Formats: sequence, C-alpha cells, structure tokens
Amino acid sequence: MKKLLALLLTCMLVLSAIPALADVADDVAAGEALTHDELVEKALAETGTFVVYGNTSRIATAAEDFAALYNITTEANNLKDQEIYTKLRSENGNTAADMVMIQDGAQLTDAIDEGLVINFVPSAVKDVLDESDQQPALVHQYINKLFIYNNLGDDVPAIRNVWELTDPSMKGNVIFKNPESEKVNMNFLVMCTKEDWAAKLADAYKAWKGEDIDLGSYKNAGYKWVAEFLDNVTFGKSDTTIAEEVSQETAAGKIGLFVLSKLRSSSVLTDNLTVAQYDASAQGYTVEPFAGFMYPMYTMVNTKATRPYTGMLFIEYLMTQEGFQPWGKSIGAYSPNAAITVNDGDLTIDVWKDTLVMEDADYILESFEVEDFILQHCQK
Amino acid sequence: MQQTNAKGFQTRRLLGRVRAWFSKPANVILLLFLVALTVLTLYPLLSMLTETVTIHTGREARAAQLSAGSIAMYHFQRLFATSENDYSWIQFYQPFLNTLLVSVAASVIAILFGGIVAFLVTRTDLKYKKFISGVFTFPYIMPSWTLALFWETFFKNVNIGLKTSNGIMASVFGIYMPEWFVYGAFPIALVLGLHYAPFAYILIGGILRNMDANLEEAATILKTPRIRIIWRITLPIVKPAMLSTFLLVFASSMSAYSVPVFLGSPVRYYVLSTKMKSLMDSYPGQAYIIVGVMILFGVAILLLNQKVTNSRKQFTTVTGKSGQISKIHLNRANRPVAILLVIILLLVAVVPLITFALESVIIKAGDYSLSNMTLDFWIGRDLDKRLDQGDSTGILLNPKVWNALGYSLGLAATCAIVAGTCGILVGYGVAKRRGSKLASLVNSLSFFPYLMPSLAFGAIYLSMSSQLPWLRGFALLALVGSVKYLPFASRSGVNAMLQLSGEIEEAAVITGVPWWKRMVRVIFPIQKSSFLSGYLLPMVSCMRELSLFVLLVPTSNTILTTMLMQYSEKGWAQFGNAINLLIIVVVLLVNFTVNKLTGASIDKGVGG
Repeated sequence: MKKLLALLLTCMLVLSAIPALADVADDVAAGEALTHDELVEKALAETGTFVVYGNTSRIATAAEDFAALYNITTEANNLKDQEIYTKLRSENGNTAADMVMIQDGAQLTDAIDEGLVINFVPSAVKDVLDESDQQPALVHQYINKLFIYNNLGDDVPAIRNVWELTDPSMKGNVIFKNPESEKVNMNFLVMCTKEDWAAKLADAYKAWKGEDIDLGSYKNAGYKWVAEFLDNVTFGKSDTTIAEEVSQETAAGKIGLFVLSKLRSSSVLTDNLTVAQYDASAQGYTVEPFAGFMYPMYTMVNTKATRPYTGMLFIEYLMTQEGFQPWGKSIGAYSPNAAITVNDGDLTIDVWKDTLVMEDADYILESFEVEDFILQHCQK
Repeated sequence: MQQTNAKGFQTRRLLGRVRAWFSKPANVILLLFLVALTVLTLYPLLSMLTETVTIHTGREARAAQLSAGSIAMYHFQRLFATSENDYSWIQFYQPFLNTLLVSVAASVIAILFGGIVAFLVTRTDLKYKKFISGVFTFPYIMPSWTLALFWETFFKNVNIGLKTSNGIMASVFGIYMPEWFVYGAFPIALVLGLHYAPFAYILIGGILRNMDANLEEAATILKTPRIRIIWRITLPIVKPAMLSTFLLVFASSMSAYSVPVFLGSPVRYYVLSTKMKSLMDSYPGQAYIIVGVMILFGVAILLLNQKVTNSRKQFTTVTGKSGQISKIHLNRANRPVAILLVIILLLVAVVPLITFALESVIIKAGDYSLSNMTLDFWIGRDLDKRLDQGDSTGILLNPKVWNALGYSLGLAATCAIVAGTCGILVGYGVAKRRGSKLASLVNSLSFFPYLMPSLAFGAIYLSMSSQLPWLRGFALLALVGSVKYLPFASRSGVNAMLQLSGEIEEAAVITGVPWWKRMVRVIFPIQKSSFLSGYLLPMVSCMRELSLFVLLVPTSNTILTTMLMQYSEKGWAQFGNAINLLIIVVVLLVNFTVNKLTGASIDKGVGG
C-alpha cells in the first residue's frame, strides 16, 4: 500500500513537472521569434510578481527601472552565485525566480544540462553579438578582476610580470578572495593550468628570470605559478573589503586581485590605487602574460518560471543601452554589444580579452584534480 | 460458545485497556509527539544519511564517474581516504582536529568564566551583583558573530592578517596584538566561550543558589579549609551542571559557522562547519558526511552525559530545599574583583555596541575623524549617486529593512509560540509519564534537533520542501525554526512540570475539570514565568539566527540576519554594522519588554 502510494505520488510529481518544463521551453522558443511589441503584450498578459535572482547588486536598479517602464510588479534579489544554483535546484512554484543573472560558466553548463535554465536570445541582438556570446548562454556583460596595487611609499609593487607575485619578498603582500568562497576565482586559477596559459606562463618566467623554468614536481608552469602565488596570498573577505584595505594609507606595498568596478565606491581611497594594466598600457607594455582575469555574467530564463515572457522581456531590456546603464555608468563592466561603448579612461573589451584569462567551461568541468591541487595550496 | 466468549472478553479487555490508555491526555500527547518528532527529526536524519551514499548531479557525478542518482560509497572513500593532494587531511582530518580543539577550549572557557561568575554572584558578597547578573546574558542574546566582528575590528593591525590597516587598539592606543591573539584557534574559542558562558552561569548558578547549605556548614564546623570545601563539596555538587554546560557548548561550538569564518579564514584556519559549507556547494555527499560526524559527536557526549549522571533532566532542574547559604566575605578583594568583572562585561557586551554604532557612521574605513562621519547610512537618500557603497537609502528609510524586520519578528513570534507550546505539552507528557520508555524516547527526540548543525538542518529541509509544494516561504521557515528551537522549550517545559506536584492537578481531576481547562487554569498560571521563558528563548534565538535560514529564505532580503550577511559579504560595512545594531537593539528590547511584563527571562528558560 505504502509503495503504491509513493509510486502514485512520484508519478503525480513527475507529471506535474513535465508540462511546466515543456511549457517554458516552448514559450522561450516562441519568444525568440517575437517582435518587441509582441513580447511586451505577452509579458503584460502574465500575472503575479515577476521575480529575478542576480549575483550583481546593481540588478536592483535595473529591475526598478524595468518595473517603472512597463508597470510590472518586480522583485529583484541579489544572491551569491552558489545560492542561486541551490535555489534553482530546489525551488518550485510562485516563489521561484522567473529569470536569473548569473556567473560561473562551468556550473551554468551543468544547470543547462540539468534543464534548470533555458537560454533566450532576443531577436534584437541576434545579429549584433558574436555567436560565442549567444550560445550556449547569452552573455550580458563581462566583468574583470585586475591586479591593482597601492601606489604609496617606496616599495610600490608596480608589477610587469605575474611571476613577481611569487617572489618570497611578496609573501603576505598579495590579497585575493578565497577561491573556495567564489567559484570564478577558482575557475581563474584552474585556467592557469590549461596548456595554452601554462605555455604563456613558462615564456613569462623566462622573460622574468632570463632562464628556462625548472618545473620540479609540477606538471606545468601553470601549476607552479598557482602554487607559488597562493603561498604568498592572504585571503580577503570580499572584493569590496580588499579594495578598501589595499587603498589604505597604511597598506603601502600591497597588491590585490579584485573587481575593477569596486573603484567606484566612496569607501575606497581610489587615489592610492593604480591598476597595473592601466599603468602598463600608458607605458606601452602589458603585464605578462596576463593582467588579471575576466568572466561573463549570463542571463537565463528559469524553466520553472511562472512569468517566462516577462523574463524574456527583461532580458531584452538588459541588453539595451538603457538596461545596461546601471553597470555601464562606471568602469569594470563590458557589454558584448559593440554599440554600448566603455567608459572614458577604461580599455575596450577587445584589449581586455587579449590581456586577461578567460573562462573555458569545458576545461574547468573536467579539472577536478586541479581543484584539489588548488585547495591544497589554499591551506596553510 | 465458551471460546467465543473468552475471545470476546479478551478483545473487550484489550479495547478497554487501549481506551484507558488513550483517556490519559499525557499518553495521547506523547504518542502525537512521537509521531511528529519522528517525521520532523528522524526523517531528516535518514534523508541526510541517504545523501551520503547518493551521487548528485553535476560536478559530483562527473568526478565520481558514476551516473547521477546511483548509490556508492564514493563520498566516504574520497573524504576519509584520499591521500592525493592531501585531500582527506585538508578537507576532513585537519578541520576535524581544529574543531575538537576549538570546541573543547570554548566549553572549558564557558564553564570557567560562567561558573566562576555564578559562584561569585551566588556564594559571595560581591559588589555590583545586579549589574553583573543583568549584563551577563547579553553575549548570548547578541548574535555570536557580533563579538567576532568586534574582535577583528578592535584588534586588527598592520602586522597581521591582511596587514593593511589598524583597528581601534592599534590606531588609538598604539598596541599591536600578535596574530594568534586576533585570528585562529584562540580568538575563536574565546569568542564562542564568552558567547556560551551564560549557559554555565545559568546552569551552575541555579544549582549553587539552591544547594543544600548543610554540607558546607558541616565542613565549616569541622574547620575544613575553604578551598577544600569548594574542591570536595561544592564542585562535586555542580559537576552535573558543568557536564550539561559542556554538552550544550560543545555541540553549539562544533556547528558554529560565522565565528570561524570571521576569525579563522584570514589565517586559513578551517573547522568542520566551514568545510561543510564549501563542500555543500560542490560535493554535497561529503558535506553530509561531515554533518553526520558532528551529530555522532553530539550524541556521544549526550550519552556520556546521561551515563555519568544517570538522567540529564536532573541537573538542569533547580532542585533541593536550601537552607541558609552562608556567603563568603571577599573583604578587600571584593571591589577589585567586582570592578574587573564589570570591565570584562563592558568589553564583551557594551563596547561592541558602541563600535558598531561608530563603524556605521564613518565613510572611509579606519578614519574616525568627525569630517569622515555621516548619518547617511541610517537616514540618507540617493546614496548611489553620492557614496555608491551599497544601498541607495539609509537603513531606517529603506522599506526593505522594515519589511525584513517585520518578517523576522513575525517568524520569531511564530516559532516561539509553536515551539513554546509544544515544549509545555512535551513537558507535561514527560513529567506525567516519568520513567516510561515512551516518555524518555519523546524527551530524547525533542532534544535531538539541538545536535543537528543548523546549516545542515536547513539544507535537509530545503531538499524535503522541494517534494512538498505547500512547504515553502514563511511556512517552511516557521516549521524549521519551531523544530530547531523545540529543545529549549521542551527543556524548560519538562523542568517546570517536574517541579509541580501531581496533587495540584489531581484535585482538579477529581472535580471533573476537563484537561485543557486544567492546563490553562491550573498548571500554566503556577509555572507561568518558566513557561514564558520557554517561549522567550526560541524568540530570541530565532531573531538572531542565520545559518538555519540562510538556504531557506525566499530572498536575502527576507529576514534581517540574511540581509546583514549579504551586506557584510559584499563589504557594505556601514549598512552591515547598522543592521547588526538594529538586530541587537530589537532583541534586547524584546527580552526586556517580555521580562518586565511577565517576569520571564532567558536564564529561567535554560535553567528551569
């Protein structure tokens, strides 16, 4: 009897879930063919509060502007990437998000495979964006974390080569967020061990030391750099804290690897900070072989959305100049849409793509051992 | 015919017995709670155990090279026996040893500090007793990370941690504390010890206040030295209370998350709870094994505790008919000891509040000049255009904050009402059926949620809720909170009921007063303040709870603590400090108001 009941309940659950999944997928497929006006009409016909999860704080402003523009009751929630993935897996019904804005390409690949989220590319940007920015997930923006140092005192760490950060004299002077607490940081370190970046790091080592790299027991130059870099690093709580702390007058000699956009905050003493690559560009060179890393922030429709068309309309809105404004008003956020230009004083996305380490989800997904290796060096 | 008659007689007798059994409210209550608690505590435990052998989708399935949903011992092998890259050492053994060290040290600190103060307050003529006993429960009322945050803000300096800025101690007094003092095992154990010292104070104090003075007096008459009396008479009497404290503090310290994050992470000092949290994101199977280990330890200490003292309930109860207790005269030591205690309590309970107030009004960190101060983070508008370091409005003008405060208060009140009422009922059932297997089973089950780490408890309920569409939002949070805080309420319920003599109810039974009327008109009024304390403790705990709710809240803005954590993680320090202060003030106000209106207090809730 119990078994029968359990089976019946399971069947009911599965049956009730399948149509929802299929419905949203159908809606998204249909939505891609709609014009803006048709999408608006469909969105306004939907009922209930439109719920958004995003792991950027400025999603709140974008959602407010969107709500005012279309008169749609909107609730924007700023969550950590991991919280969003956890919620996507476990939430159902009206409280779940209709649309998410999320980072970490590796986990997103899993989420797409699991059928948690669906990609939607608005017709307006189909011909504007590179294919790689449309599939498997729509890139809303790129965010960069750069080497930024305190420019006070006699001991300014104006690095030209990332191997300088592994020098014993730099121990305790490099500040980075713990890769265990934010996956994009882990992804960056994993990427350093990929063959192409490892080769570049080996070249950079030779340029720095004037001799070929001695790998010892390390598999390649990437492993060696990651290990020695982490040995010198002190972990900061958040990128904001790191930016604030490195900018202190008492922090001469310190260098951090954090989000460039944090320089906008009034709690950061921006005058005391220099972006390593800005300085390098001004003098006609680049930081070898990279000046930091860059990762995409994606927009996706939740397969459990109760307002899928509103989710699509919001994605379309975010891809416009107006929708990008909350991020675009200050440095450190780059639209894949070439029509949306960068701020004065910042470098273009193409320059950054050449000088920063980018995520490769496929490589990251297969690199469990590299993560173990990184964890080992995150320990004392 | 005769056989049928005999059978019928037997059936009738059985039915009669069943009817008689069910006619006693205590039996019905115990049975209902047995079923409910089995579903609400044992089911999560079993589902957690299942998770430890299940391969989850994504990273876990790929790493194990097994299909998602399959059953395997992979997680155990990986967590306990992987030597490559020192995996097991890093993910389990090292954090495990750190956890043991910190939890034992915290328990010892709590017992020593709480016990000594309890002794001084109850058994000596110490000055400023009223202030000391009034403020002593503050650290428990305040969220545990409060003290951790304060510790870091106060003692950090350019020689340790990030080595970038000076805290108040270094910048104002020019004193630079060493790294071991500010980060790592020592401050974690100390902060947890101070946070839970009120347990020791309340439990040990309760015994000391009510103990029979005859033994000590007899020893005094026989000219036994004071120190020998304390060692041979007083200490053995309070030993059960000390063991109780050890159980409570050890289990709480083991699953504490915020304090090790604040004070351990900067120097890469990890404990089981911090490892569990990071594993939960990528390898949930291994995270649940860690939870299992924590629960095993909790249960082991509980069993040890029960074995040593035979029955746990005895020492949380205020018992004995005390005679006139002779107070020790501290003489010339009185004032210095009292002043020292007052200073320590001010440092632990009052200075943090002042620090939070200060940190919530400065614009640039570390600059405490007036020109760097603003009330914008409290009452400002359009801050995104001017300061751009967090929200656009100050917290007191932000509807999100008020909504979260309302939600937190509503949730805390609901959990308190549900847990408190259930606690009274469990107490009634257990006291009435004292000694029966059913009573002791329900009693143990009702204490079990205490041993489940909050974060894991929340995670399990989250996965349960995905199977039950109606269980979400407020209902989910209220259910989880009520179950998690039931141990507090059931403790005070059992203790209060055990103090009641059976005759009191019997008189009403004889005159035919229905059960509910006996409860409302007779039992409740007599033990009102103890029962109300059983409501107050869940209320206070719920208001400052983070780990339990962090995965379950619909959004980070739902309750104040998750909002605070979000602000803190983003580095919006001023908003974070302001909300922290708001939480503490609200909790203190609730505590104070309930105390003044009803006479209930936290100490009665824990100590019975």
